[in-house]
Amino acid sequence: MVGPSSSHTAGTARLGRVAREILDEDPVTVRFYLHPPLAATYRGHGSDFALVGGAIGLNVDDPRIPEAIRIAEQMGVNIEFHEEDLGEVHPNTVRIEIEGKKRKAEVVGSSIGGGVIEVFKINGFQTRFKGDSPTLLLFYRDRPGMISEVTRIIAEERINIASLYCSRKQRGKDAFMQIDVDSPISDAALGRICALADVSEARYLDRIP
Amino acid sequence: MIESFKQLEQIAKDRDLADVFLETDEQEHAVPRDQILEALRKRRAVMRDCVERGKNGGLSMGKLVGNEAKLLNEAFQNGKTFLDPLTVKAELYALSVMGENSRMGVIVAAPTAGAGGVVPGMLLALEEERKIDQEKTVRALVVAGGIGSIIALTANISGAAGGCQNEVGVASSMGAAGVAYMMGGSTRQSIHAAALALKNTLGLVCDPVGGLVEVPCVKRNALFAVHGLTAAQLALAGVESVIPMDEIVEAMVRIGRALPRGLKETAEGGLATTVTGCEIGQRIKDEANQRRAARAAERERAAQERKSAIK
Repeated sequence: MVGPSSSHTAGTARLGRVAREILDEDPVTVRFYLHPPLAATYRGHGSDFALVGGAIGLNVDDPRIPEAIRIAEQMGVNIEFHEEDLGEVHPNTVRIEIEGKKRKAEVVGSSIGGGVIEVFKINGFQTRFKGDSPTLLLFYRDRPGMISEVTRIIAEERINIASLYCSRKQRGKDAFMQIDVDSPISDAALGRICALADVSEARYLDRIP
Repeated sequence: MIESFKQLEQIAKDRDLADVFLETDEQEHAVPRDQILEALRKRRAVMRDCVERGKNGGLSMGKLVGNEAKLLNEAFQNGKTFLDPLTVKAELYALSVMGENSRMGVIVAAPTAGAGGVVPGMLLALEEERKIDQEKTVRALVVAGGIGSIIALTANISGAAGGCQNEVGVASSMGAAGVAYMMGGSTRQSIHAAALALKNTLGLVCDPVGGLVEVPCVKRNALFAVHGLTAAQLALAGVESVIPMDEIVEAMVRIGRALPRGLKETAEGGLATTVTGCEIGQRIKDEANQRRAARAAERERAAQERKSAIK
């Protein structure tokens, strides 16, 4: 990693990277809403470089992290930092709104030390995401049988599921599924999952480096 | 998964501690041990590289520190140090890594960046001074990492969560276990080395001047690298912690919770709010504001230029 603080420059870079991977295209605007304790310390610790570095797709050990804000400006990315009380959460918590030309995404997560992260909200859905294994994120319309259809495809690929998390905004409306797997999911399987009825979007994330 | 130090001692009683951690990791993450060892060989190489680069010093981002490693190295090279070479090198290497860290150089979080000098300071100094095989250091990193990961099951490893005890305290604990392992100690001795080191850092607060990982972090890493060595020495002689390691970790968590917010990385207490600390903090804020204003002016100027070019 790049110094000076693993909570502030490794974990935060990974949180930025999660947002970038979920957006799945070059960002145009990224807004960071920092929980007050993080807002008090982020500049001294270089979290601003790191968050931006992750959001433009840099790895935590990329020596260009200290230059990330300048690089983002050259790429024409609008960057904003704000302070926001995110409630009863870890001190180093951030909400990230990221927008590209086609899509937008929102991620809320904490950098809990040693580069470890806990994302607990993705696009408004409650979840638990740590980025330490390959993960399938699925956005779909809530209906009976969806979980079994998706997990059957994964089982047929002989892939083991490490954990599965579902949440929905309202019965029969927008829902979200996160499946952490032990080995990578093939493009073919991903294609079959995307083709299932009522799936609006699927994102496959490798381990976040 | 190994969930406690009590369980670790049972499982690893008469076995090589690194082997036990490698085995558990293999099962848990389905990563072959060669791959884990290779990843740690790279980490060791980055640590070594930091030590070489950092020895030459150079001003930190906040300009508060940077030449500590250079000064100590000069004194050492000129025969002007009075401590034994192992102790001096542990300090020197910890300072070197932390200097690199304060310049936003590439380092290894061990377990964090702010405490990243302690483990390499201890292990690399020992490797060099006692002519221990590099591969043994790599395995000691497995041990240190394993100890840290068990602590992390109970405690958040950050100054923001529990003060410096959670960072430098944990680092010296991990390093002490690694040193005991490198010196041929038993599993029980490694765990007691970790316990003695951690126990005697409890209550250490995180009060960085100006919110930067510079004062007191850089020098503290050097001092606690030596602290870890002494803990390993006691454990190797058979001295044991009366309070078991699992209970020390629980105590650390409770102390961390009890610490006021101002002493947990926010730069709103302790050294950060001394007269000198406040002056420095203000200067850093002013400089950051000036830089931001300059950047905004530059953007404004570029926009104006684009406009006039269109006309």
